[in-house]
Amino acid sequence: MASYLVGIDIGGTFTDCVVICERGQVVTAKAPSTPGDYSRGVLDAITAAGRQLGHTLPEICRATRLLSHATTIGTNAVIEKRGARVGIITTKGHNDVIHIMRGSRGLSGRDLNQVVHFPESSKPDPLVPKDLIEGISERIDCFGNVVVPLNEEEARAAVRRLLERGVEAIAVSFLWSFKAPAHEQRMKAILAEMAPDVFVSCSSDLAPRWGEYERTTAAVLNAYMGPLTSGYLRHLERQFRQLGYQPPLQIAQCGGGTVSIDRAAQAPLLTLDSGPVAGVTGSRFLGELIGYRNVITTDMGGTSFDVGLIIDGESASSSISSINQYDYFMPKVDISVIGSGGGSLVDVDVRHGLMRVGPKSAGAVPGPICYGKGGTQVTVTDAALVLGYIDPATFAGSPQGLDREQAEAGIRAIATSLGMTVEQCAAGIVKIAEFQMADLIRKVTVQRGLDPRDYVVFAFGGAGPLHAGVFAFEAGAKKALVPQRKMASTWCAFGAAAADILHVYERVDIMTEPFDLARINRNLAALLAQAQARIADDGETGAEIRYTFSIDLRHQGQINEVAVVLPGAALMEEHLPALKRDFYERYTQLYGAGTTYSKAVLEAVTCRLRVVMATPKPALVAASTMTDVVPQAAVLGARPVYWESVGHRTDTPVFAAELLVAGNTIEGPAVLEAVDTTIVVHPGRTARVDAFGNVEISLSQGS
Amino acid sequence: MTQPIRQPRVSELSPEIFDGIREGYVPGRQLRIAPGLRLHREFSTDLDPITYEVIRHNLWNINEEHGATIQRISGSPVAIYAFDLNPTILTEDGEFVFFGPYMQYMSGVADTQVKWILEYRSDNPGIRDGDMFIANDPWVGAAHQMDVMLICPVFWQGELFCWVTNCLHQHDIGGITPGSFCPAARNVYDEGLVLPPIRIVEGNEIRRDIEELYLRASREPNIVALDLRAQIAGNSMARDRILALIRRYGPATIKGVMQRILANGERAFLEKMRRLPDGEWRERTYVECCRPGDRKVYPVYLTLRKQGDHLTFENEGTAPQDGAMNATYSGWRGSLIIAINQILCWDQYFAVGGALRHISFDPTPGTFTCARHPASVSTAPVQAMEISLYPTYNLLAKMVYADPELRKDIMCIGGTSQFPTVFFQGLDQRGRQYGMGLIDPLGGAIGAFSCADGISTGGQSRTPISRMPNIEHTEQLYPMLILSRREIPDSGGAGKFRGGMSAEVAFIPHNTGEIIHNTVSSGSAVPTSVGLMGGYAGMTNVITFAKDTQVLQRFTEGLLAEGPAEIGGELAAVALRQEMFRQGPGDVFTVAWSAGAGFGDPLDRAPERVAADVRAHTVTQEAAAGIYGVVIDAGTGTADHEATQALRRELRLQRLQGAAAPAGVLEGARIQDVTEKLQLRAAPDGAHYCCSDCRTDLGSVAGDYKQACHVTDLPLSAANPLIGDPRRFVDADPVFRTFVCPGCGTMIDTEMCLSDDPPIRDIRLLV
Repeated sequence: MASYLVGIDIGGTFTDCVVICERGQVVTAKAPSTPGDYSRGVLDAITAAGRQLGHTLPEICRATRLLSHATTIGTNAVIEKRGARVGIITTKGHNDVIHIMRGSRGLSGRDLNQVVHFPESSKPDPLVPKDLIEGISERIDCFGNVVVPLNEEEARAAVRRLLERGVEAIAVSFLWSFKAPAHEQRMKAILAEMAPDVFVSCSSDLAPRWGEYERTTAAVLNAYMGPLTSGYLRHLERQFRQLGYQPPLQIAQCGGGTVSIDRAAQAPLLTLDSGPVAGVTGSRFLGELIGYRNVITTDMGGTSFDVGLIIDGESASSSISSINQYDYFMPKVDISVIGSGGGSLVDVDVRHGLMRVGPKSAGAVPGPICYGKGGTQVTVTDAALVLGYIDPATFAGSPQGLDREQAEAGIRAIATSLGMTVEQCAAGIVKIAEFQMADLIRKVTVQRGLDPRDYVVFAFGGAGPLHAGVFAFEAGAKKALVPQRKMASTWCAFGAAAADILHVYERVDIMTEPFDLARINRNLAALLAQAQARIADDGETGAEIRYTFSIDLRHQGQINEVAVVLPGAALMEEHLPALKRDFYERYTQLYGAGTTYSKAVLEAVTCRLRVVMATPKPALVAASTMTDVVPQAAVLGARPVYWESVGHRTDTPVFAAELLVAGNTIEGPAVLEAVDTTIVVHPGRTARVDAFGNVEISLSQGS
Repeated sequence: MTQPIRQPRVSELSPEIFDGIREGYVPGRQLRIAPGLRLHREFSTDLDPITYEVIRHNLWNINEEHGATIQRISGSPVAIYAFDLNPTILTEDGEFVFFGPYMQYMSGVADTQVKWILEYRSDNPGIRDGDMFIANDPWVGAAHQMDVMLICPVFWQGELFCWVTNCLHQHDIGGITPGSFCPAARNVYDEGLVLPPIRIVEGNEIRRDIEELYLRASREPNIVALDLRAQIAGNSMARDRILALIRRYGPATIKGVMQRILANGERAFLEKMRRLPDGEWRERTYVECCRPGDRKVYPVYLTLRKQGDHLTFENEGTAPQDGAMNATYSGWRGSLIIAINQILCWDQYFAVGGALRHISFDPTPGTFTCARHPASVSTAPVQAMEISLYPTYNLLAKMVYADPELRKDIMCIGGTSQFPTVFFQGLDQRGRQYGMGLIDPLGGAIGAFSCADGISTGGQSRTPISRMPNIEHTEQLYPMLILSRREIPDSGGAGKFRGGMSAEVAFIPHNTGEIIHNTVSSGSAVPTSVGLMGGYAGMTNVITFAKDTQVLQRFTEGLLAEGPAEIGGELAAVALRQEMFRQGPGDVFTVAWSAGAGFGDPLDRAPERVAADVRAHTVTQEAAAGIYGVVIDAGTGTADHEATQALRRELRLQRLQGAAAPAGVLEGARIQDVTEKLQLRAAPDGAHYCCSDCRTDLGSVAGDYKQACHVTDLPLSAANPLIGDPRRFVDADPVFRTFVCPGCGTMIDTEMCLSDDPPIRDIRLLV
């Protein structure tokens, strides 16, 4: 019997499943997500995929070599405020850290309009009320020296009070714990003894970084999501065991790989945003396979447009992230988001002749007008439908078909008020959205010192391939690629299956030149020991393991840090010249020529160890022959589509994307209909199917 | 108080004298530009909405990328944590297209810089493609000398198309105090280098001679040099991207979008003006202490007059310039523009240029908010400019209240309405010299809104996206151990909607022998977060110094100390401008900053909200009863409605003690709402004010409603229990003055004023 790789991604509405056979055959399926017990949706989706392969659920489970799972359960729990009742134990005098939020309103990712309009920009509700925050006597200073030892009497009294108040999880975060974790570790031991059933998260275990607000938030979010997520994961594991799945279940994490279920249950914060991150991971895998090491990933669904980056084969990541206005530390693949999706609403100011698109969205309910579920305000999807990009009968997002007439009526109302034709107006709506997406791509690349011309844009998500032909090229990229035709909306599930096991260990120890190498090497050795203990716990000793040590450096007195990779597990005097050379080179590359000055003193900030363990990989098989002959079955006919550059509707050929074969080249204008998306090939663009079945869009010769 | 002799306003003096030399620069209606400089004037007016929206979004992004470029290259904590920078795009003749969301003080000055350069540099040395001008002269346009601007003309085919500029706070540009912030300066000659606009970049090359002149003044030339490169790179990037847009869409289209941004802003502003009544609103506040040893209080007046669609701001009555507490014309105007932008133009995305076409700024030169050269101005942002900005929110609130929609944009004065500045220096934990200001008060608080509570530690509205450092950031850099940083219950001004809480930070020296402090604090005696429309003031700034405390002793017993009871020690007075103050190992220094002001009568606050505040430790049980009149059931923590009703009735009666009998009740039709508790209704002899609750007649609209109110002067602590005795710092006698409806005891207005100052006539409607 064949052996499979299975990727799962639980989203807010659908649970996606991708099954990959050894010979490269891919099957995808979707099932409605099942809040309450998400595992039902997971099993439904696998069952549906299995049916396509002629297997029952237990058969599929027994024949699977690796099951990997991304989820937004944690994200939803935070956004919907369904997390645990959390208590905090912290350093006395510093109880208000998560209330003060560093004196800011947590503006990350919010529309700037709201930033100056204070009535709209309040802080989010605190994750923990002040009554459940206990400050106790203990103090460590900036050198890691104990000023006041942990006062165990106060510690125990604090635990008792929290338990009396019915907390379900406890976050422990002391000042400078990342530097000297002993007090937090002792506190953990006390909690294990006094409250063995309470979920505990320690800031120094989870996010040992410099800055108590973001570190405490990480510990609190972890505790908040803890009982729910770990409960779910244990339940899921049991079910798969019963169904005959033997190998360790892998959980996708926000750093771009997977972790064991034990680790994920301890640190559920790792699963936050794991779905979108898996999309980047999948792109990285595919890019590696087909030779693209610089990739901009774009995921456009109904409500948002998510952008990630792969730079020289590595996913771009950062150590700080935010959810619901809370900033927290966690090494995480960077995803930048704007509220620009198919459901983005069009706002018109008739008196001033102004039109804006997004960031508000119609969501899944009521959705765009054309869904016929009560939406009355025009969305980007309505405009795409009216232009002829989408076939109302076969649109994947709405099985019962789309109502083109209603969408057109909505757009006509706007068009008339602005003195435009329906087509001009619809094209304008789409263009405004596409240019916003291009602006975000620019921001993500150029503001990091990267040139979008060096990048290929991967476009996935149900709506991405509709618009990539514009936003990718407007941003300056040379090529757009729709990966694997039939996985546009299940790409994140594929990414989960394609991920390696990844652990990231960090230790912040700020020191200035000349560096104390013995101290650095002690730190590196401690990271290695920590990693090996974890690997042994997870029983992953057999896997191929790659260790990468790095250190973050910066100019003293400045903020910008650059990670420099070390040659091995130890740093020697003779490595230093090359290390500094790397730093200056990379700094100049990121921040511009003339931005470093070699007279400046350097500071070392964070030592890091990334451990990657290879897992079985999807075997995508290249076609043996390439042909420009389009199979007759792939030609579906033609329909009138409005092209802005042409200025009127033209009869445009329509193809079945799945039936096109490697080597097929389609000149725009054309529309390629795939299982769960539509690839729009604008006039002046050429689409080509590559050997692995990806559709590449590039500028046509001469345009 | 002796009335100063009335000095003429800007509009009453000859325009020629406002050339930025002795008087601050005030551009005339017509800019005098050398004829050799060709301005690009052509713009298209028939843009379709899509092209407009796409290019508008692009220009906005260019400005944002401009700011990000400076942050990226500079890499300094000033740029990245405090966001003390701001980029702008202006038209060829210096009207704002966009300014950035960073430090707002820096924006309102960009247009005067550009206009001055057009007037005084266009003939000699000329303005050419590839030039950039460096400038920090507060009399031309700068908040204070450390805010160094770099101004770049953008040329298209030989014509001056537009301007891009940026401003970045510098670590040090000279002067008698490291950091160039000089609280003891006698005048501008004690302060850092002052540069009127000087061409530092020519043909895209830095003029080395001029750069060396600039760097020579600084104690930190390397950092300043790197920041200059960041500023150049920011301007170059913005210029190049605008040129790329011009190449793609054509110059007339791009200029058309810029003009339309202005026109849209103007139109939106005019529409708002049309919905509002004409009138004149006045506000009086006070600052304290203009030089070490000073115990005086200085009045600050702000007048807003609306006539049709035109607004005029004046500062008549404000104290003369003195000591080291002044701001220039551009500093004052720039401060006002912040509030104008946030209350009237927030929906225009930082495009305030259109509105400014209808706003006059007409201060009186020689006052401390419009100081003449050579006054000291390096501390302007923390004192004179804060007190110019924050009362503006109250004036605008009273103007827009008449319209139910615009009323929702009202915001009361926020926290840190005077910045309690503490500079510390000495040897750090690694044995090196250091000197730094405590920036925690950036955490501020946001004042109450007309329909919601303010935001506790929600920042300072003048720098809406900055953050304060983590405790661990501060302790890593400086030799201190921070005992606590926490929000202060009851600090937020009481009201129907409560002001946000502020916070305090307490620390001891650690791994060093001592810390030496220099302080500049106003807003410590007379509250500056004044309540609005019956709302109460937020807490004042409070700096406390406890000498020889128990803290270190407790450490050895395994205990941390928090709060005065545990800390012990002897309280020593810290003067408002204290020089070279020594803090030893067991001495605890605590800085609490002022909180957000309240909106509306606290006795109108929903009892459930007060109970929730008590449960959340935002308001104490005592204040709940004493100020809000809400009785909390000890068992359930919820409000006891019956007891609350009785208590509130009693408190209203108390307010009315000694009140004269009220006039009759107005039965005529309502004409308009004036404030939360003040209405205009028809009476036989024309419009009259009345109480919104009981309709008690408060006199003709031609008069001052306050004269019909029952006026009582109460101690400051009656407004907020955390306000201490003002006589510790000043000789004057400030009071909490309440204006109560004689009919029902509702609070119509409050003032924080000196006891011998007459009530200020805050509203004069032109009906």
